[in-house]
Amino acid sequence: MSTFLLILITGVGLGALYFLVASGLSLIYGLMGVLNFAHGSFLTIGAFTGLWISTKVFPNPTTWTFIAAMIAGGIAAGLFALLMEQLVINRLYNRHIDQALVTVGVGLVVTALLAGWFGSDARLFPTPLWFMKAVTIGEAIIPIDRFVYIGVATILLIAMLSILKFTRIGLIIRAGVENRSMVSALGINVRLAFSTVFFIGGFAAGVGGVLISVFSYGVSPQMGGSWLIYGFIVVVVGGMGSISGSAIAAMLIGVTNQFANYYLTGLGDFVVVIILAAVLLTKPSGLLGKVNH
Amino acid sequence: MLRWKYSRPLLIAMTVIFAILPFAGDNPLSKAGLQQTMAVAFLYGALALTYDLLFGFTGLLSFGHALYFASGIYVTAILVNDFNVNLYLAALCSIIFTAILAALTGAASLRTTGITFAMVTLAFGQAGHVFISRDFGGFTNGDDGLPINAERVPDFFIGVVNTKYLYLLALGILVFIYFAAWWITESSAGRVFAALRDNEQRVSVLGLNPNRFKLLSFVLSAAMAALIGDAMLIVSGSGSPRYADAGTTIALLLMVILGGPVTRWGAVLGGIVYSVLSTRLNVLSEGSAFDSLPSFISGPLSEPAFTLGMIFILIVMFAPGGISGAYYRARFKYLNKGK
Amino acid sequence: MSSLEVKDLHVTINGSHILQGVNFFVPENKVTALLGRNGVGKSTTLKAIMGLNPGTGSIKFGGTEIVAMPTHKIVQMGLGYVPEDREIFASLTVKENLSLAERDAEPNYDLVYSLFPELLTRTSQRAGTLSGGQQQMVAIARALLNQNKILVIDEPTKGLAPKLVTEVANALAHVADHSTMLIVEQNLALVKAIAQNIIVMDQGKVVFEGGPENLQDEAFVKSMLGVSGGHK
Repeated sequence: MSTFLLILITGVGLGALYFLVASGLSLIYGLMGVLNFAHGSFLTIGAFTGLWISTKVFPNPTTWTFIAAMIAGGIAAGLFALLMEQLVINRLYNRHIDQALVTVGVGLVVTALLAGWFGSDARLFPTPLWFMKAVTIGEAIIPIDRFVYIGVATILLIAMLSILKFTRIGLIIRAGVENRSMVSALGINVRLAFSTVFFIGGFAAGVGGVLISVFSYGVSPQMGGSWLIYGFIVVVVGGMGSISGSAIAAMLIGVTNQFANYYLTGLGDFVVVIILAAVLLTKPSGLLGKVNH
Repeated sequence: MLRWKYSRPLLIAMTVIFAILPFAGDNPLSKAGLQQTMAVAFLYGALALTYDLLFGFTGLLSFGHALYFASGIYVTAILVNDFNVNLYLAALCSIIFTAILAALTGAASLRTTGITFAMVTLAFGQAGHVFISRDFGGFTNGDDGLPINAERVPDFFIGVVNTKYLYLLALGILVFIYFAAWWITESSAGRVFAALRDNEQRVSVLGLNPNRFKLLSFVLSAAMAALIGDAMLIVSGSGSPRYADAGTTIALLLMVILGGPVTRWGAVLGGIVYSVLSTRLNVLSEGSAFDSLPSFISGPLSEPAFTLGMIFILIVMFAPGGISGAYYRARFKYLNKGK
Repeated sequence: MSSLEVKDLHVTINGSHILQGVNFFVPENKVTALLGRNGVGKSTTLKAIMGLNPGTGSIKFGGTEIVAMPTHKIVQMGLGYVPEDREIFASLTVKENLSLAERDAEPNYDLVYSLFPELLTRTSQRAGTLSGGQQQMVAIARALLNQNKILVIDEPTKGLAPKLVTEVANALAHVADHSTMLIVEQNLALVKAIAQNIIVMDQGKVVFEGGPENLQDEAFVKSMLGVSGGHK
């Protein structure tokens, strides 16, 4: 029972990290039809910025410096995402395949740039001491960092849903995911919404990058790549364009992954792929899919 | 399209020159190092062409093509090493196995279209990669890679002195794949592929089942990728999980975009250039070529992916059609000048 | 200035040359109906005016060239658009659909709710769960919320039950009294009731421009529109 609880909470924690990567991918694809292969590099940029804050700016890690690192990582990644949208994506307006291709290039360049500057070796991310502790629930001993991931992802989920629900730009984004050309036919410039989703998506991925550095014990230029693939899988299973869908799919995949890894000795990744194939073949639009383009 | 009438002599001449150079006295290609580089490059040129058949000619954006390349490599290596099968028979088996694998996964993936199709193929490719790198069943030797038992490879492919034969093998495979791709794309099925890319509805209106033709394109390119995988196994001496990686498929996509899709020679050239560049840039960076530059510039420059990525972005944004596209634009301008 | 002048408009979609040099004029403060059989390019023409289909040629709105403008700028100049098939946002509530459409500082909700009182009772219902007629009311209401210089309306009564056709028609007739309108409509009774001009298209071109009295002529209707009479 205690093992079960440990695996369950670890799975939810992993799902929280998946969600941070996937939410932006989902919004960007949902609104703009752009499959963003540069999303992994947002994550990496966030992680490196967070590392800089946690080692150079505030060399003694505390709870507050860690929060500062997350926010700085999020903002750096968000600004980079915005820059990419303005400089590259915007110029290929409505050329969806070219937009996806160019993000592949951006992903390669960012990874190579960071590898050229900082080397390919993973660096440890300093965390406040209490991250190493564990809490006891019943008989289960659960490392405390899991709860940090879950907490941060929950805050961002609520923040994103509130922006979508209660602001005008959120309304435009929701409508745009459904039918972008009709939004412009109401006299609304959709480009502002594009920039917004890129910033929000980049921000979430950047925060995710900092947390993933803690989870996987290191920051490296290549860290974005494998998480990007899981991000894609979560988005597709959850349904393109749906934040709630991404959240549900992220939990489903995180938990399944951990249980399969434990009970089927390392088969976690394999089972995830099977889930993806099964969902797509039975419901190609994903669990909560809205987009039809 | 490069007109066959003009291009045939050119292609034959180039093939003959490339085939003779390693044996013709002292020149760069008489050295084993460059022969090895070129052998790998020829195979990537051929592989890029099989990807062009899918992406360029049929309009299927697959992110799982590397799976079939790797399946050719691993099935052959496993049959040769563990089951004592003759190398050529093993290669044949690997091609048949891959064709069946592609038929099954392709039929499932083709129930979806567009970006979803890309994702499903990515998932199948990832499954293959996980399968190989985690060494399920103890066949693939996991992340360490799977060397082929050298005793079961013909002697003339073994040893540095014989690198020229590896080079010839790779060149031969490239020529074969080129002709096969030419034959397929110019056949009546190939015209249907092109029609599918441009307007699927028109094909359905003609009473043809679009999915059957897409599947045909998918299986054919997979089987050819398996053959190239067999050659890669011999040329490089071992299988590695990275051959099945999504990164490999993305590299193929870059090659096709670099050279320009739907021209056949564009994809081949893109594959060769990409492969040579990534090897050579690595060598350059290990030397002292960038030492005089400040480190924030020399660092990224020593990463081949930086240069390739930048070239790629510039091509997509400013020169769609890649190398072959630029060539045809230039030729079109030249031909219209006289008028 | 709210007249609309279309000159030599061409649109090609997926290799098909759908509009082959369309010319017509929509005068100020009048209702102009665009008629023709199915598939002759009426909706494509409206979409081209709204910048939703890339077209070549000239479209002048009040003297300003709008042919290469982005859609949102065209709309901001005062063109209200009611698309074919409604295109309401199904996952948004009625209220959200309407508030998304607000452009003016003081959107005219009084007009909208007086024309379609039914919407007032359904403000928090998801638009996707409304009936076809109610969805059409939302679509028209979106255009009427703002002070538009011209309304571009595509088949507002398509697929509606007869009772709803009357309700939508009454609303349009009310609006038609004091605005410029370009409307595509199959229902000839409605056209006769509100239009002062008619334009007939065939195979990507305009083949007739004139007054609505021509619709009284059975032979004209049959040869131009391929339907018999206006008694639908």
